Amino acid sequence: MTAPVEIERPEVEETVLPDTPWVTVVWNDPVNLMSYVTYVFQAYFAYPKVKAERLMLDVHEKGKAIVSEGTREEMERDVEAMHSYGLWATLQKAGDLT
Amino acid sequence: MGHAAEGGGPDLSTAFRRTRGGGVAASFHTAEIELLRSLVGQLLELVRDDPDGREESKKDDAWAAALGLADDKPVRPTDPVLLRLFPDGYAEDDEAASDFRRFTERGLRDAKAGTAATVLASLATAEGVDPDEQRRGRSRDKIRVELDAAEADAWLRALTDLRLALGTRLGVTEGDEDVWAALPDDDPRRHIHDVYDWLGWLQETLVRTLMAGLS
Repeated sequence: MTAPVEIERPEVEETVLPDTPWVTVVWNDPVNLMSYVTYVFQAYFAYPKVKAERLMLDVHEKGKAIVSEGTREEMERDVEAMHSYGLWATLQKAGDLT
Repeated sequence: MGHAAEGGGPDLSTAFRRTRGGGVAASFHTAEIELLRSLVGQLLELVRDDPDGREESKKDDAWAAALGLADDKPVRPTDPVLLRLFPDGYAEDDEAASDFRRFTERGLRDAKAGTAATVLASLATAEGVDPDEQRRGRSRDKIRVELDAAEADAWLRALTDLRLALGTRLGVTEGDEDVWAALPDDDPRRHIHDVYDWLGWLQETLVRTLMAGLS
């Protein structure tokens, strides 16, 4: 067996980083009303109206928008909730969005 | 995204409005109530039935249901309407999408069936209110539907599911209003699209009424 080795510990980061962050992405679709999408972002995420409207416009104009970030489990809950509202949503690792 | 067409009219439904009691209400022509009942009833059947996902062996179904799990091998719907109502949770990972479907689809089906059932119950309640007065046609065969917060939420979701189903079946795309308006009157798609538009108008008035109470 190998002897334990003294590992030099970096002294910078004391805080434990959470698991790799994940994101919930809502995609544009031709059916859902702009007002309804804004309403869902307000009602489910409790976002202020201004933020909900900005996200809705991102979905509408850019085709998709990141609407929440967190652990994989949290994002699966958010995606399931979006599906229950009829929004088209997926989750993925943060940074994978192309 | 879609946009709501102009709707309503002298003999048609009125927009949803806030009531003094804190709920929301709208009036419908009896034919509109019948149409809604028929559409929502079909929606209920659509989300409750799962012909694609049926397994030969069902002995473990009771336990799977008790644990909140769907069938062992959930099948990705082949019907575009069902795939739109129960979309993949992962865009580029088939295995993760399959697991996600296994853990969520049954619950989503139950939830969507529940909202459809709530809408049907509120329609039945509205018709049951003083039927004699309704029959005398006090307001030209109009029926007033009044919803509390939970019922209004169910209506929003069910109207969405209906529009997703009709819009997907029709092949609606963004900004295609002129295409539908140009269809001949006897094209059955024209009538379906008119209903799709009306549902959108109705939903728009409901969303705006509820939003006024959010912020």
